[in-house]
Formats: sequence, C-alpha cells, structure tokens
Amino acid sequence: MLEHGNSVETWPERVLLLGANGFIGSALVASLVKKGVNVTALTRQDADLCEDASVSFLTEMISPDDTIIMFAAITPDKGRGVDALTKNVVMMSNLAKAIETSPPAHLIYFSTDAVYPIDENPVHEGTRTDADDLYGGMHRIRELMAQASNNTDVAILRPTLIYGAADTHNSYGPNRLRRMAHQDAKITLFGEGEETRDHLYIDDAVELASRVISRRSKGSLNLATGKSVSYADLAKLIVAQFEQQPSIEGTPRQNAITHRHFDITALIKAFPDFVFTSIEDGVQKAHQQMMDSGAA
Amino acid sequence: MILPVVGYAGMTHLGINSAVAAAERGARVVCYDHDAKLVASLNSRVLHVVEPDLPETLAKNSERMTFTSQPATLHDCDLVYIAVDVPTDDSGRSDLTPITEMISAVEHALNDDCVLVILSQVPPGFTRAIPRDDAQCIYQVETLVFGQAVERALNPERLIVGCSSPNTPLPPAYKSFLEAFDCPILPMRYESAELCKISINACLVASVSTANTLAEICEKVGADWSEITPALRLDRRIGRFSYLNPGLGIAGGNLERDLATIVRLASEHGTDSGVVRAWVKNSQHRRDWVLNRLHESGILSMPDACIAVLGMAYKENTASTKNSPSLALLGNLPSSLNVRAYDPVVTAIPSYHPGIQHYDSALEAVRDAGAVVIMTPWPEFRDLVPRDIADAMSGSLVIDPYALWDKEPCHAAGLTRMTLGVSYS
Repeated sequence: MLEHGNSVETWPERVLLLGANGFIGSALVASLVKKGVNVTALTRQDADLCEDASVSFLTEMISPDDTIIMFAAITPDKGRGVDALTKNVVMMSNLAKAIETSPPAHLIYFSTDAVYPIDENPVHEGTRTDADDLYGGMHRIRELMAQASNNTDVAILRPTLIYGAADTHNSYGPNRLRRMAHQDAKITLFGEGEETRDHLYIDDAVELASRVISRRSKGSLNLATGKSVSYADLAKLIVAQFEQQPSIEGTPRQNAITHRHFDITALIKAFPDFVFTSIEDGVQKAHQQMMDSGAA
Repeated sequence: MILPVVGYAGMTHLGINSAVAAAERGARVVCYDHDAKLVASLNSRVLHVVEPDLPETLAKNSERMTFTSQPATLHDCDLVYIAVDVPTDDSGRSDLTPITEMISAVEHALNDDCVLVILSQVPPGFTRAIPRDDAQCIYQVETLVFGQAVERALNPERLIVGCSSPNTPLPPAYKSFLEAFDCPILPMRYESAELCKISINACLVASVSTANTLAEICEKVGADWSEITPALRLDRRIGRFSYLNPGLGIAGGNLERDLATIVRLASEHGTDSGVVRAWVKNSQHRRDWVLNRLHESGILSMPDACIAVLGMAYKENTASTKNSPSLALLGNLPSSLNVRAYDPVVTAIPSYHPGIQHYDSALEAVRDAGAVVIMTPWPEFRDLVPRDIADAMSGSLVIDPYALWDKEPCHAAGLTRMTLGVSYS
C-alpha cells in the first residue's frame, strides 16, 4: 500500500534519476522534462555504481530535497546469474552508503514482480515475497537495502512486464512477439501460448512513476493493469496489426503452464482516477511507433 | 412455573435484546447499566439499538422489567448475566477489561446464592480464572445476530452452557430459567463452551469464504452462483440454512475477533491456522469488489462524476457501521467525487467522504447519479422499482452485490447491473 506525503501533485526541487539510459528510465526522463520538472539524469557514464568512487560522487550530488529514482541495474538480458546478482547488490550498496551520509527526501526503487513466487495468484502488495530465482532474490535484497534508509521516504514499485516500441530487452512478451512477427512473419509460442500474464504499457508505467514522485508516496505498489491475457491471445492481437498477417505457431511444451494475475486494488486506492491503456490500444500504439521508426 | 429473577448487567445490544426475550418468556428482569442517562432513556422506553420487534416486545413486557443504574437493585436476582460489549482493536484482538470491571461493579451486590453468568464472548480460559465459586459461575454462549436479535434470543436453536465440569448438575434456578426456552441445553466444560462459540463463527466464515471464492470464479467463467446454491442447500451435508450467499467480506467485528483469536491460539500452541489466515485474506479481497467494479467502469476518472451509495450500515436491520464495506468504499473513493448517500438508520457525515451528501430516501439519493451502488441489503431497497431508478439517474450503472433487484427489470429499464457471483464482462 502507498501512503501519499503530498495530498496534491507537488513536484520536488529535483528528481535525480539513476539509470537514465534504460527503457523505462529514458521514457520517464523525457516525460518529466516535458512537464517542466527539474531532472538530473545519470547514466553509467556519469557514475558507475559498481565502482567505489560512485559513493562520494553521489554523496556530493544529493540534496536533502531530492527525489531519487533508482533504475540502474544489470538487466536480465545481460545476466541472471550470481555475477549479475553480486554486481547489482554492489550498485545498491553504493547508493545506500551515499544516502546514509546524504539522505534525500524521497527514494523510489524500481523493483520487479519477480520478488513474488510465480505460483501465487492473484498477486497483491500483501503477498509474501518469495522469489523463485536469483533475479527476483536480487531485487528483494535491493528493496530491503532501500527500505533501510532511516531519514528518507521510500517507495518500492514492482512492475509487471512493461512493453513499448523502444524496449531493447527481448524477454518473452509483446516486444519479442512483435519483433518475431515483423522480422520472421511468424510468432512462435511456448506450447500453445496458454500462460497468462499482465502487460503494462510504457506510458502507463511512466505516468504511475510520475504520480509517485509528485505525491511523495511511500510504501510498496505493484504496477500492473489487473487484466492478464494469454500469450495466444496476445499473439492474435499482434498479428492483427499487420496487413499481411504473420502466422502463429506453437511448440512442444517444455515447462509447466504458469499464470500471473494481479489484484490491483491498492493501485486503485492510491490513484483512483488512473486509467490504463488497454492491451489492444497499447499493442496498436507500440506497433505504429515501430513501423514509424522503421525498427523492430 | 415461577421463573427466577434474572439480572442483566450491561444494556448493550446483547444485553437489552436478551433481557427483553427473558421477560417475554415470563421472567422478572432487572436491567442494570452504570450509565444513568441510558437507564433514564430506557425507562422512557426510548431504545438506543435498532432491532426488528424490539420496541414492541419491550412495551409488551414493561411491567416485568426494571431498569436501574444502581447495582444494589440486582440483590434480589437469582441469576445475573454479564452482557457488556467487548471492544476489539484493528487486528480483532479483544479487550476484556469491561467484563472484569462489570463483575467488580456488581458482585458485591449479589446475594450469596446468585449465579453469575458470563454472556459476553470470552476466549478459552477466561471463565475458569474468575475468582468465584465454580458452582455459581457459568459461561453461556451468546448467538446474537444483528438484525435478528429478538427472534434469536427468544427462540434459540440450543443453549450452550459452560460450567466447571459437564457432569455437575446446573444450579436449579439457572436450569429452570433455561428450560423456559424449550430447546436443547448443552452443558460442557468452560473451555469447550468458550471455544464452541468461536467454532460456530469459524464454520460460518468457512461457508461464506467458500461461497465468495466460487462466486468469484462464477464471475469469470460465465456461471451464476445463484443457480448453484439451491443445489448445495438440498445437500444434507451442507444444509438449507448454510451461509452460501457471497458478500463483501466479513464485517461487524465479531467474526473478525474470533478469527484473530484462533490465529493467536494457534500461534501460542504451535497449531496450524493457515486456513483461517486464508479466510481473512479472502475477506479483505472481496471487501473491495465494488471499488474495483467502479474503477473498471471508468466513472472514477470522470470529471464531476456522481455516485449514489445506498446503505452504510454493515448489514441490514442494524445501525452498526463496524468494519462496514460501505464505509470502506467511501474512504477509498476519490475526494473529488460527488457522493449522494442514503441509509434508513445511518446518517452520512463528512468524515465518511468529503463530497458526501445525505438524502432522506433512496430515490432522492439516486437522482442524477452516474452510478448507483447498493452497499447494504436493506429490505426497503428490494422494493425500489428499477424503472424509477433508471428515470432518476443520469447514468445506467447499478452495482447490486446482493442481487436485490432482478436482472430482467433492470435490463428492461436500460440499467447495467453487476452482482456478486455472476459474469459482468
């Protein structure tokens, strides 16, 4: 559950965003700048959080009125093993050390729904965190490190799969299916695509993160739409975007079918007037942007 | 048969209804409360609780009833029931102090032969620890149901009696009083009776939780829970009176308290209470059903949206709002929303919602509303005509969790009706 520090939208003196090159980070920076928010966007080139030197760099940079939003991480497409976990923990450790010396007003940690076990449904903020793998475990450790900040309001955001045209990751979801359809004229599913998942459009993720910033919210919140779809239905939505419709093919199933559904009541309570982009509209927007940019 | 004189200490919902039922059964009754104002009001026959038949039954038996704020008046009683409220905190944990304080307040006034009966609900171990001769100390399980309190007190299905040992005969005065109710009397040791009350409530919650769980699946797979329940009721292992109506989570405070007690006892003694925790979780999940439906409808994001809320009490025929789903909903609606509210006995106040306005009838409340939600199944709401509602509203969405209105007239009037246990997509 989230608790708002500001009863109405009130932007902080500055948003310090770590991990500004990533899919979500870059979209959030663009959105905040458009709204006239003072943003300092840091990338690994500005401060490599794996290095000890980042501690003093951040300590000097952080102001007491700042909102820090932490995206920086070795993403799963670059590694899901012990090495990635260790580096990710070091990155958060260096941020935590800087915050201990120079606490900001507000810290938002962008986590993942992988902190919840996959066999738990529906997932809500009260669901016991019990990660199934190192990636989920890593994020849970980083959440706990963020929450150890004594003098800072901390928000933990746990997004489901986020999709959009600019996504560089290639995890099994709308982005990969869209690329398959575009490049191969064929979508290949695991099994017959029976699994259901919740997919959040990038603009919605950015808007929700913006609201958490401007309301100075603390606590934890899952970022999800509350409406899960099967990969088979998702594939049908994607192929419908093409004039020459790609084929959809199943494969012999290697793993058991799993589902993920979210109970988004806490999100509704936090932001009752928030309207999600439907999966139909989101897929259509992402497709249009992809075609406009000429990339897949 | 001359019945014993029966005292009731604590003019609570439980106390007044039990006392009136005792008088109706022919006993002379002394009603004590330390609150002199309340006693004066009861002496003027002005009631502080809402229950069907209570005013009439009280008026009918007035001559046999004495209301007093003086403990000494209890001296002539053969039995004295302790019927105080046991407050619970947000986690459902009981504060038993009012019971011990009431015992201290009245025990010096009791005659040497008087039987003290604890009617307020207590956890296992409480009654045996009372420093009083076991032969004159009883725990009797109350089975108060808000909205049916007089009927239940007058015609109990059985009387569950906790005593020091189930083999010891009940005190004669107490036994003769119980026999006036003409139903089975089940003596058992204190601890069994104390746990029996909790067991009854746990079984009820189990039924409701099962109904809620399956009703939610009905909503997703195109089934209709109301078509399934008659089949279940005709199964003798389930029963025609079983709690199979889905709801908006457990409310009222009593069931929540008992679940908290089970979890605490299991924790203390190392037994498994996972299923009870699941019931609590399910209750919390279903509480927000209406909020979720309103969000899905898009009305919460509309500028100048207006919603009519019918019912604020936690259930029908009561003024209690303890853990009321209606108040929980109001607390989570956007502050910018216009809320038009009506309840037959609860008056809307700004602390429920900053944009709330109270109206004196359901039809006035629904006027110009974009959506109507029926949060308490008051009988009078059943009599509303969907066509009149549709004509008064500006929108067409009706969220009727308890299916007070039939589907066909709603559809004929152009209303979109959402009900628990029925597919709404």
